[in-house]
Order: sequence, then C-alpha cells, then structure tokens
Amino acid sequence: MEFDWSPEEVAYRREVQEFLAEALPDDWEELSRGGPGSDAQASFSRAFCARLAERGWLTQSWPRAHGGADASPWRHAIFGEEMWGIGEPRGPQYMNVNWIGPAIMQHGSEEQKALHLPKISAGQVLWCQGFSEPEAGSDLVALRTAAARDGDDYTVNGSKIWTSYANHADYCFLLVRSDPESKRHRGISVLLVPMDLPGIDVREIPSVVGDRYFHEVFFSDVRVPVSCRLGPENEGWSVVTYALQHERVGAARYHRAARILDDLAEQARARGQLGEPRVREQLGEARALCEAARLLSYRVIDQRAHGLPPSADANVARVAATTAEQAVADLAVELFGSEALVYGSYADTRFRWAMTAGVAVGATEVQLNLVASRVLGLPRE
Amino acid sequence: MDFELAADQQAILEAVEQLLTRHAGPERAIALSAKAEYDSPLEDALAEAGFLDLARGDETGPLEAALLVEAVARAGGVIGVGAAALVAPLLVDEELPRPVALLPTQRELPVRYAAHARSALRLEADGVAVLSLEPGDTEAVASNFGFPMGRVQGGRERTRLGPEAAERLRAWWQVALAAELAGCMRAALDTTLDYVKKRRQFGRAIGSFQGVQHRLAQLHVAVEGSRWLALEAAHAGAPVEGAAVAAAHAAQAARRVFDETHQFSGAMGFTREHDLHVWSMRLQALRLELGGAPAHGRAVASARWAGDA
Repeated sequence: MEFDWSPEEVAYRREVQEFLAEALPDDWEELSRGGPGSDAQASFSRAFCARLAERGWLTQSWPRAHGGADASPWRHAIFGEEMWGIGEPRGPQYMNVNWIGPAIMQHGSEEQKALHLPKISAGQVLWCQGFSEPEAGSDLVALRTAAARDGDDYTVNGSKIWTSYANHADYCFLLVRSDPESKRHRGISVLLVPMDLPGIDVREIPSVVGDRYFHEVFFSDVRVPVSCRLGPENEGWSVVTYALQHERVGAARYHRAARILDDLAEQARARGQLGEPRVREQLGEARALCEAARLLSYRVIDQRAHGLPPSADANVARVAATTAEQAVADLAVELFGSEALVYGSYADTRFRWAMTAGVAVGATEVQLNLVASRVLGLPRE
Repeated sequence: MDFELAADQQAILEAVEQLLTRHAGPERAIALSAKAEYDSPLEDALAEAGFLDLARGDETGPLEAALLVEAVARAGGVIGVGAAALVAPLLVDEELPRPVALLPTQRELPVRYAAHARSALRLEADGVAVLSLEPGDTEAVASNFGFPMGRVQGGRERTRLGPEAAERLRAWWQVALAAELAGCMRAALDTTLDYVKKRRQFGRAIGSFQGVQHRLAQLHVAVEGSRWLALEAAHAGAPVEGAAVAAAHAAQAARRVFDETHQFSGAMGFTREHDLHVWSMRLQALRLELGGAPAHGRAVASARWAGDA
C-alpha cells in the first residue's frame, strides 16, 4: 500500500495540462458552460478529439490490438481527471472511449470492430446511450422497446428517454427486447444503431438543467440490420452489465467538483467572504468530501490495475462522488445568495451542472441497494 | 499508487491482530473502563513486539503506524495508541516515558489518558511543550465517553519545541485522530450490521428494511472515505491540508455513525452488555478533539486557500 504518483505519472499529468492550456480556445470557459451535450461542445469535440487521436491519447487505455497503447488504468484516470476538471472538452466522446469501445471489443464481430473502433479512435464519431425508457428508469430491465426479427433485419418500435447527446449522435448504443415473450434480464439485445435510419425521431425535452440536455428518441418501424446486433441475441444483459461496470467510475466528476470548489474559494475571496469562519468551515468540509470521493474512486481504479473483477466498490465511489458534487453545488448557491438566481450566472451554471448528480447513471438509491446487499451483506427478504 | 497491502504490511497487520486477539477486545475495554484504568499490559505488549516503533522503522513508516492505530481502535484498546505510535515518535527523537497524553492549549479541558500519563505533548500558541508527569501532576475526571479522562495540572517541562513543531503536532494529531476515528467507526458499524441481521421485528430481520439499508450503506461510504483519507495523509507525512482533510471528514462522519448506529441498535445499544458503546461513546470524544469538524474544516481552508481575506 502506498499513495504516491510515479515520476512518469506526475510528468504525464503536467504534459496533459500543458497541452490543454495550448489546445483550448480563450473562450473555453464560456463555450463549456452549456455542458458536454451543447451544440458548441459537441462540434468542438470533433476537432479536439482528432488532436487527441493524433497524439495517441484519445484511446490510449485500449489494447494495442485495437489501436490503443495499453496505457495503465492510472494513466487513463489522470487523463480523465484533467479532461473533466476543465469541463470535458471531449464532449460526449468520453463515453466512446470509456465503455462503448471496450464493449465492442469484448462482444463485437470482426465487422463491427472494423467499422466502429477506427471511427472512435479517430475522434470523429458521437454516440448516445439508448437505455432508459418512460417505464424503465432505475429498473432498467423493465425495458419494452421491441426488436422483431424480420429476415436480415429487426424492426424496432418504442422509445427511449433522457437520452443525452441524441441530438448530435451518429450512433445509438440501444437496448431492445428481442424476445417479446421474455421478462426482465432475459430476452434483451444490444443494437448499434445508426441514428440516420428512417423512422428515428429525436425530440428535446425542455428542462431546468439546461438546453439540449435531455431528449426523447422515438423508433417507428426502424429497420436495423441484424449485423448491427452486439453479442448474442437475447443475451444483451451481460453486454450491458459489462458496459455499466466501465461506466460507473468512467467520469471523474469528483475532480470537476474539486476544481469548482477551488474556484468558489477564489470567488469567496474576491467577495470578501473567505475570512468568515462559517464559509471556511463549509469550504473545508466540502473539500474533505471531494477528497474522499477521489480516494474511493482510486480504490476502484486500483482494483482494475490489479486485474481484479469489478466490485460494488464502484457503487461506493459513485455515492461519495454524488455527495461531494451536491455539497459543492449547494455551497455555490449559498455563497452567492440570491445572486445565484440570475440565469447564466456563475453559481447558476455550477448548480445546474450538479443537480443531476444523484440521478444520472443510476439513482443513488440503486447504488445504495447494491452496497447494502453486496458489501454489507444485508438480507433482502 | 497501490491500495493493496504489500506482503510485509500484511504480515505486520496479521501479527498485530493476533496480539490484539489476546490483549484487547470489547470485553476487556468494558472491564477496564468500569475502573477507569489504562491498559498498560496491552501497551507493553505492543512495545515489546516493536509495533510502537513502526513510524520510524527502517522498512516501515507512518502509514504502517496508522494501520496499527486503526487496528487498535477497532479492537477497543484502552491505550493512547495514536500518541504512542504516531504522534510522539514523529515529534521528538527521544523515547518518552509512556503513557503519552496529547494536550490542547486550553488547560481546563478534560483529556484522554491524562490521569495515567507519564509524559505529554502540549500544543502551545508558539510551540510544543514536552512535559514529564508525576502522579501528583494529574487528576482523574469522571467521564461517560469511553476513555479514562483527566486533567494535567503540573508537570516539568523537559523541552520546548518551536512554532514549526506546533504545526507538526497539530497535523500528526489530526492524522492519528482520523485513524482512531476510522477504526472506531468501522467497529461500531460492524457491530450494528451484526445486530440488524439478527434482530427480527415484524417477522423479518430489521436489516432487510430498505429504510435501514440505505442509511447503513451511506455510513459505509463515509467510513471507508475516512479510512483512506487517514492512511493517505499518514503516508504523505501529514501534510497540513491532507491531515486536516482526514480529520474533518472523520469528525463529520463520526457524528452520523454515532446517531445512526444507536438508532438501529435500539434500546439494546444503550446497555453496557451490548458492545456498541465501547466505540460509539469514544466517537463523541474523538470527534470533539482539537475543536472538532468546524476547526478541522477551517484548517483545510487556511491550508488550501491561504490568505484569509
């Protein structure tokens, strides 16, 4: 047990920071305010990820056989922290690298690998995640979007909801029920669906989080070639489980929260609030929550580095990150008081960014269920 | 970066656990606490085995010492292990007569183990006073909070260390506190988990209710976070910010662990026959030390965002 970064890791972090200082435009702060799903960030990500690809950084965590560099999980984590810390200039493409690509490597046919992996590696493709449905949120296995086999195609009917990035996506990682008689985990398949197929309709759901944040995606008699199915028919749940394990700690949101907290402290100083004992207490206690979330996330990265199977420690890390994000967001509005009510103000954007933390990527209650049963061994009954 | 124990760390911890099985545990803590006694046999056994020298060993350091502190706290050991194994060896070169007490600047406050201490480190505004104590220099203070408490009224000042030492004392004290809190919280939580799995009401184990499960799961997250923060801060040599972060997190978590473990243990949790109080009452004492979470939080802010105004 030891907690030092190696000299190579320290140097690498500095290299990434220097690259970011040079590669991001002067108005990045403004540009990034809309979040990774905004039009501005989505289009910026295509140019930016191409540069990352040139440097060999975009998919460095992937195996060499798939164009990666077998970079260690720690190097991948450093890279992810620096990206999230600055507001995720990869836009939605972080998902491609973190779990969509790995899922295709693990379960894809040779044709699928040849089609998708080079596009992801080049930083030229945007994906969205077609998981949640109106009647299948936290209870994902209740999903009903149907894929009926018809010769060499599936005919897909149904709808997905809350789909971030659907407005920009080239492909959707879509969960469907391919066996109409099936229930729950059985009978689910994964389809890699081009978003320009006829019959797909994307509608924005206006929300208080921000513009172009949530979408609904409707599928009306969409004909998807069988060759787009990822993994065996009706056994998509194991593909999803694998993907979700990569997703849980894929985004270094704890690092973003810590950076925002640093920023808040500077704002408090500028506003003459940093001398107030109560403000200092709140800043310090929020910092402690960010640091705990960092270490609990590192714990999971360490397990991956040791080649251990994914565990419910990922859920522990996720709960800690959510707690930290919420503490920072609450502090942002409390520091600014009623000034936070101005749309687009500093505190307003920070608050909106954090308000989905307990719901996105699986509600906190689901994470707590898993911790209770898998870590604490509490009975179900 | 490596969160797994190395083979030698594993071996040390196994040896420590074996020793604690013989020389510690809640039953012994309850018996000693009824007489407000200090567990000198335990401290001597740890010293004899070399475990109190871990912090300054050739092959070991503060991380191994922090792991020891956490393990002793988990076993309910009635000794000032944080002071003996971590704080004192890292502050002063000479080996101080044990027990060693850690004293805040305010002289009127009751202090853990003060009535039994033969040495003490007192945090002063401008440094650290290293005190030799005779039995007449201290008095016992009755307390319900799991530790024999006392006050230091006299003592001979052996040495005086400068302002730099005051910062070091505060930081190592915070790390030791965080490690002790992490150990006590883990034991309190484990005891409660055992209880809610066995205790049945309404025809089912109370630990099967989701309203109970979620709160216990949240405690687990808080306790694990505290533990890793304490260990990282120890490994890093108690940096001012990291030490305060570890103490702030642990002190915040301790209040919740106290409230919730007692809530789920029902009336049984208040009795002296049930083990929970061995750790829960200590949590209250520890979380208030050095000014508690608010003071640790302010220390984090000062260290990280230097310049107050």
